[in-house]
Amino acid sequence: MSAVTAPSVSVIRVLGVKDDELLRRLAHAGLSFTIGEARRVAALLGRDPTVVEGNIFNTMWSEHCSYKSSREVLGEYLPTEGTGVVLGPGEDAGIVRLATVNGKSYCIAIAHESHNHPSQVVPNEGAATGIGGIVRDVYCMGADVVGVLDPLRFGDPMGENGERTREIVHGVVEGIWQYANALGVPNLGGDVYFDSSFDENCLVNVVALGLVAEDEIVRSRIPLEAKDSDYDVILVGKPTDPSGFGGATFASRILDEERALDDKYAVQVPDPFLKRMLAVATREVLKLVRDSGAVIGFKDLGAGGIACATSELGAAAGLGVRIDLSRVIVAESNLPAEVIACSETQERYCLVVPRELSPEVLRIYNEVFELPEICHGSGASVIGEVIQEARFVLEYAGATVCDASTEQITTGVCYKRESRGREPVCKEDVLPDGLDPRAVLLDVLGSVNVASREHVYRHYECEVKGCAIVRPGEADAGVIAPIPGAAVGVAVACDGNPFYGAVDSYQAGAVAVAESVRNVAAVGAHPIALTDCLNFGNPEVPEVFHDFVEAVRGIGDAARGIGLKDSGEPIPVISGNVSFYNQSSGGSAILPSPIVCCVGRLVDVSRHVTMGFKSGGNSIYLLGRRSAKLGASAVLRTVAGDATASVPEVDFDDERHMMAAVTDIAESGLAASCHDISDGGVAVAVAEMVLTSPEDSRVGARISVPRLDGSPAALAGETGPSGFAGTRESEAKRDLVLLFSEAGGYLLEVAPDDEDRLLNVLEDRGVWYSRVGTTVAGVGLSFTGIAGGDFTLSVEELARPWTDGATEAMR
Amino acid sequence: MMKSRARIAVIRFPGVNCEDETRRAVESRGMDCDIFMWNGSHERLVEYDGYVLPGGFTYQDRVRAGAIAAKDRVVDCLFDEAQAGKPIIGICNGAQILLESGMVPGITPGKVEMGLARNIMPDRDGYYTRWTHLRIESDSSCVTCVMSKGDVTSIPTAHAEGRFVTTTEGLIDRLFDNGQVVMTYAGLKGEAEPAFPYNPNGSTRGIAAVSNPSGNAVAMMPHPERAVRLAQVPESLPGRWGAERRAAAGSRRILTEPGPGGEVFKSLGAFIAERLRGKRGDA
Repeated sequence: MSAVTAPSVSVIRVLGVKDDELLRRLAHAGLSFTIGEARRVAALLGRDPTVVEGNIFNTMWSEHCSYKSSREVLGEYLPTEGTGVVLGPGEDAGIVRLATVNGKSYCIAIAHESHNHPSQVVPNEGAATGIGGIVRDVYCMGADVVGVLDPLRFGDPMGENGERTREIVHGVVEGIWQYANALGVPNLGGDVYFDSSFDENCLVNVVALGLVAEDEIVRSRIPLEAKDSDYDVILVGKPTDPSGFGGATFASRILDEERALDDKYAVQVPDPFLKRMLAVATREVLKLVRDSGAVIGFKDLGAGGIACATSELGAAAGLGVRIDLSRVIVAESNLPAEVIACSETQERYCLVVPRELSPEVLRIYNEVFELPEICHGSGASVIGEVIQEARFVLEYAGATVCDASTEQITTGVCYKRESRGREPVCKEDVLPDGLDPRAVLLDVLGSVNVASREHVYRHYECEVKGCAIVRPGEADAGVIAPIPGAAVGVAVACDGNPFYGAVDSYQAGAVAVAESVRNVAAVGAHPIALTDCLNFGNPEVPEVFHDFVEAVRGIGDAARGIGLKDSGEPIPVISGNVSFYNQSSGGSAILPSPIVCCVGRLVDVSRHVTMGFKSGGNSIYLLGRRSAKLGASAVLRTVAGDATASVPEVDFDDERHMMAAVTDIAESGLAASCHDISDGGVAVAVAEMVLTSPEDSRVGARISVPRLDGSPAALAGETGPSGFAGTRESEAKRDLVLLFSEAGGYLLEVAPDDEDRLLNVLEDRGVWYSRVGTTVAGVGLSFTGIAGGDFTLSVEELARPWTDGATEAMR
Repeated sequence: MMKSRARIAVIRFPGVNCEDETRRAVESRGMDCDIFMWNGSHERLVEYDGYVLPGGFTYQDRVRAGAIAAKDRVVDCLFDEAQAGKPIIGICNGAQILLESGMVPGITPGKVEMGLARNIMPDRDGYYTRWTHLRIESDSSCVTCVMSKGDVTSIPTAHAEGRFVTTTEGLIDRLFDNGQVVMTYAGLKGEAEPAFPYNPNGSTRGIAAVSNPSGNAVAMMPHPERAVRLAQVPESLPGRWGAERRAAAGSRRILTEPGPGGEVFKSLGAFIAERLRGKRGDA
């Protein structure tokens, strides 16, 4: 039955071993299997697993690699297909068509992951290898990486663990810039939130997107041509070392302070220099492959290292591989076979190429680009071959140390977790009496979750590659023109307000989609695809699993409900990642944090729109009804210290109509500026439009409280606080709600000559709108007709809290 | 025989990451351009009319930014070509290489007379990216010869080590007197020696670019290859270029009209044409 016979190969005894003894043996072997899983491995193999096999199954069946808790839920709720989708979830990156230029179809490849636990333990290296891992996922599709984004969640910088939190912020930001800047990939956006639930478990999510011609896509599988001819397996990159051994299982359990030192060894060591050399050299290799008419398989090495990458390459094609671990270039001698097979050493790729091409591939890496000389010990070598039988065979020092069917290894396990709803949060979201609207605006602008992120994004390259059109800080989404000489643009943004998660996970998922769509639409782009990274606590806790299911349901419903512009199709979710076990050692989970990235297309990038006001005398329009529900809002957090109250519900129809109208308006060149409404509502949005106007020719605004047809503005939401009308005090509160409501919407600046055409579009698209003010050159921001009293703030008064508000937390 | 188009080599050292857009920027000004591998043949290298050392992180910034690449054999070859008067532009990490090799400022050729030190910025450290305003201090260098002294232009910067420093007494004054200071950072209204963030790194007297005495080898920290088209200029940028950009908003013009960095590559082309004319004149 088994080829594993050599007496020198050590095994993990499972068969005939009692439960408590087995548990002890598993712990001794450093495996995180449950007893049931270990017995299942033995049953599948029909014998005791070798130590190497034990480690492989342990990695492949980890939550991180197998999605054993989440797979069914994702499959049930997320729309992943569509006419523009070339490749949905399943391989290293999803691929969606962008545009055809001169007869050539170009696509965007995108991947989205988390690197949360490593960043908590070793912030700099953790965040850096997060970038390193995500760009490999995109490069290995044959794409050139054209941008990265980083949604980050940190603990309370001024709280109990403030000092550690600020160290983590500094380390993470430094890790990102040190890696991505050196690699030469522009940072196109991201966001930063702070909350004490992240004190012991920060979130470092990463998105990478790449450009690839459709006929040059490389798949992460052994080509079917290998059925008829000899194919080699080539490993290229950094010499294999023990770093990151056990990384996938580390990512799949709860962090423990006492094990922090051990965990450090589970974090990989980044090398952006080698990554850049590999990217440039691989470009030459792929050109060689195309010119020779060959088909290859190409996969990055991430979680589970050689074992995971090569077995998945085989399983995807129904073929097998035989790898000789002795042929792997290693950094140190005497590494055990299981370490060579499963370590997560960074900066490595696996190629499956026709044998006659192997010498030339090796020559490009090792001689043309001199990898072994310029990056000590690195290089390319043939480590094995494709075999016809669908088996995964590893040999080491003449002995077979693993012999299993590729399907058994890669199919893995699946769990149906228990799900139980939480007690609903039923706090009344009544604002305190007697608030001064001017002071509230300054406090909200200077609050740590609203203030400018300039301190962070100025660390990041955004213009390398020469494609940048809109940089971080200039608009709601980053915009690039990635195809030289072509007018097509790509917009990208990611979102996920964690405070929604504290109240309603379904809305948290839905609003993450809605806001990322708004951000992309606000620059004038049509959404074409979504990705998600789902960050939650321990899925074995029924309430946490319920949060997860609800968030996925919210994402799915929003993707379908908003949909592609003027099409019946959902916005497809083409890639993503699930990160569980994000919680403190004390057992409290992070705020449920579904984070969504939206990619959009601008047919003509010259029609993009930025958010800074452009000139005085223009009209300012509000799109989208305000809501009386202030749950999750910045204003409630600022004035009441807590915002766990009912949240505004995303209205998918409204969002769809607004997205269509705003992109119509951009394409017709009618918008001088546009900004979506999110944290801090209309008041903060308009302040940001003032603050991002040109520094030498500032444009301010005069704003009145949003109203409709002369009557108090319609407040969406049936269960909001009542009794606004009547007393002066209640009217003042109503006006605050209108100014700070975070219900979805947009602000648009339009020149007087274009106003009629703008209104036609809004009427045609059935969008709720209200003219809320006028731009004024050279002065600050005035609010008039407010029950709580009119007020004016100079640009300097607005700038101070907004510029400084988060700086202290970020250094 | 007269060559119709200038030929430029963009040198790819291990770790550079701006070679592709630098090549496109050179080509956008009517020159031919190749990316030339650091380990390529020197016989072929000397055939080019000019050279650009693009930005990046050569050799992982081991020891110091640019320090290892400056010892590369290919730099010896470039040194000779610079001595012969061919233009060589070092951008960002390329500038660090030119200083580390003693090509710039080159009062004593081959001697390291200046360094590019870590940025000094209030309340922050590490990398800093920002569009900067630049005063043209010399209009005879290979990156400014189509511009006029006193002009103010805008080009983005992005680096962690871009502060021009020297320990040689009197060197800075001498560089200004010699016209070897090519560009300095300018304030919002073009004023000289501004404070952070207009001087983004604390550079001595706001120096942003320095040349050798002949002006044919220039070490510049700003990235002109990121500003060759109007579309690459931020819409909210203050100053003349921002205003031009906003005036063209929504028009396809932004995709074709040159941006401020284009002037740098136009200068490179003009410098080569002038040099070749001079050579023919000599002959």
